[in-house]
Amino acid sequence: MKPAHEGQRKVPPQRVGEGFREGLAQVFSADNRFIFIILLPIILLIALFIYYPAVDTFQTSLTNENLRIRRPPKFVGADNYVKLVEDDEFWEVTGRSFVVVGLTLPLELVVAFSIAMLLNQRFPGRGVMRTLTILPWMLPPVVNGFLWGWLLNGEYGALNGLLYQFGLIDEYQYWLRAPETQIFWVAVVQTWTRFAFPTIILLAGLQSIPDDLYDAAKVDGANALSGVRFITFPLLLPSFGIALVVEFIAAFQIFDVIWTLTAGGSAGGAINPFTKTLMLYNYELVFRDLRVGLGAAFSYIVLAMSLAVGLIFVLRVYNQGVHDK
Amino acid sequence: MNLSLRAQERLRLTVIYICCAIVLIWALAPIYWVAVSSISTRQELYAAPYKIWFPTQPTLDSYRTIFTTGAKFRSGGFSPTAELMSSGLRNSAIISVGSSVIVTILATGAGYVFARMNFRGKNVIFLLIMLMLPLPIWVSLIALFFLMSQLELIDTLVGLILIFVTLLLPLSVWMMTTFVRDIPEEIQDAARVDGADRWRLVYSIILPLARPGMVAVFLVAMLWSWNNFLIPLIFSRSNDSQPLTIVLTLFIGQYEVAWEDMSAAAVVTMLPPFLMALFFQRYLVRGLTMGAVK
Repeated sequence: MKPAHEGQRKVPPQRVGEGFREGLAQVFSADNRFIFIILLPIILLIALFIYYPAVDTFQTSLTNENLRIRRPPKFVGADNYVKLVEDDEFWEVTGRSFVVVGLTLPLELVVAFSIAMLLNQRFPGRGVMRTLTILPWMLPPVVNGFLWGWLLNGEYGALNGLLYQFGLIDEYQYWLRAPETQIFWVAVVQTWTRFAFPTIILLAGLQSIPDDLYDAAKVDGANALSGVRFITFPLLLPSFGIALVVEFIAAFQIFDVIWTLTAGGSAGGAINPFTKTLMLYNYELVFRDLRVGLGAAFSYIVLAMSLAVGLIFVLRVYNQGVHDK
Repeated sequence: MNLSLRAQERLRLTVIYICCAIVLIWALAPIYWVAVSSISTRQELYAAPYKIWFPTQPTLDSYRTIFTTGAKFRSGGFSPTAELMSSGLRNSAIISVGSSVIVTILATGAGYVFARMNFRGKNVIFLLIMLMLPLPIWVSLIALFFLMSQLELIDTLVGLILIFVTLLLPLSVWMMTTFVRDIPEEIQDAARVDGADRWRLVYSIILPLARPGMVAVFLVAMLWSWNNFLIPLIFSRSNDSQPLTIVLTLFIGQYEVAWEDMSAAAVVTMLPPFLMALFFQRYLVRGLTMGAVK
């Protein structure tokens, strides 16, 4: 071990024989004991609860373990992965997750960008406004699903009441009845749950753009709109990139919101197939159907997909940023 | 000229406040409606098609019901509502306070070690901790479930706290590392010259200076563990360990018609995070955005 304190590093190199005893003393030095005691619980926890299970899950993914069937699990190689890729339901579920992502991201970024532009203005009460706007993000997502389920209720829901009172609908609608609208509302509720984060990121980006730039553009005859187009957007690109990646991961792994909004599986009943996304399907495979081997393989495919898409996003945004300069 | 400028400014503010109103309706309407639902009488709540937006006879009956007399529900394991709510509250409190205290202590030590000391393997260990941040936890969860059953930690508060602490570690360690790095080095060098050993140095010099960082770590951990749903969904089974987020979904299965009682339960579940968001937002936003921006 190297001496732990930087100040001691300047000791001139020792000869081999002498160095050994020195080294031994250093391994048990006060600083190294300190590091060891501090880091040991952390390393143990992470090794035991994250990395060991991750390896174990991978091994399970190569077996046909199924707790419904009493048989010792057998090694089946990549069979589970092949089975999943050839399964229609797998592609349905994957497609559905991408639909959720595809609906949520644009919606969220438009909402977030508009609110960030608003909060970037100077006006009395801006601080309070910011605090209140961010609230939904801090609430338990599982409660958010419930809130909106009640809001959208077909018989007594507040949205129905509001639209009816304004004469926009003639009778109460069952908003969450048709499968396509279920997915749409999932995206809306996910947007409501998460929009505060991209708002904060974009707001920070906006505040770092110097006012001189807009003034200079104005002198050159640019109007407000082209200012947004040619100054705000390009300079905000990195912020958009961060928001996109983070929100992609959040929407891709959506679980809590769907659970209470449309899944209908809370009482141990079947999980609604029309909003069954990747994570709900994974939960169903492992903890409802007990097809552990298959579920393990599935979780690794999802891991690979998240990594790939995350990487593509980052690279594209990065390239775009470089290209525009 | 002066007047027209003032008029212009007034117009600008009017537009801004109209936009603010729209944003506030979007952000707060669902919260407002569940709060109103929880204090409305049954009759007013089920009024249709004309809804009653401001309850004329506000009542706390729903809260009384869920905490005292509420019926039994099949998905609630035949437990009376009152029992589910009180055990849920207790479990949520123990789990979130417990994990937050532990993770704050661990992260503060680690933050100091990573920010201020050099040792072999430092970067590898740091990377292995941080790698958990962006990856889906499912690959670990599946085998972790069987590990926890072997350890007989399923459906225990200790088991949940251990998992929460582990999952909170990367963000917390990272927050503390950056925080300690920003503490001027001269201060601790002076203490070292005085002959203080590491423990004394951390205890008497770093801890007081790092307190704002520790508060941020603690609050983020509280919020995250209070709000978490997936982990207890997998690792809890009874009111021995089920937190409020789970209890709420147990009601949904059977309550169906009793929206006013469910609204009350939802309000109870979201009240602590709501208050934290109002009073400690600066800390929370800083911590939560940091983990993502990495």
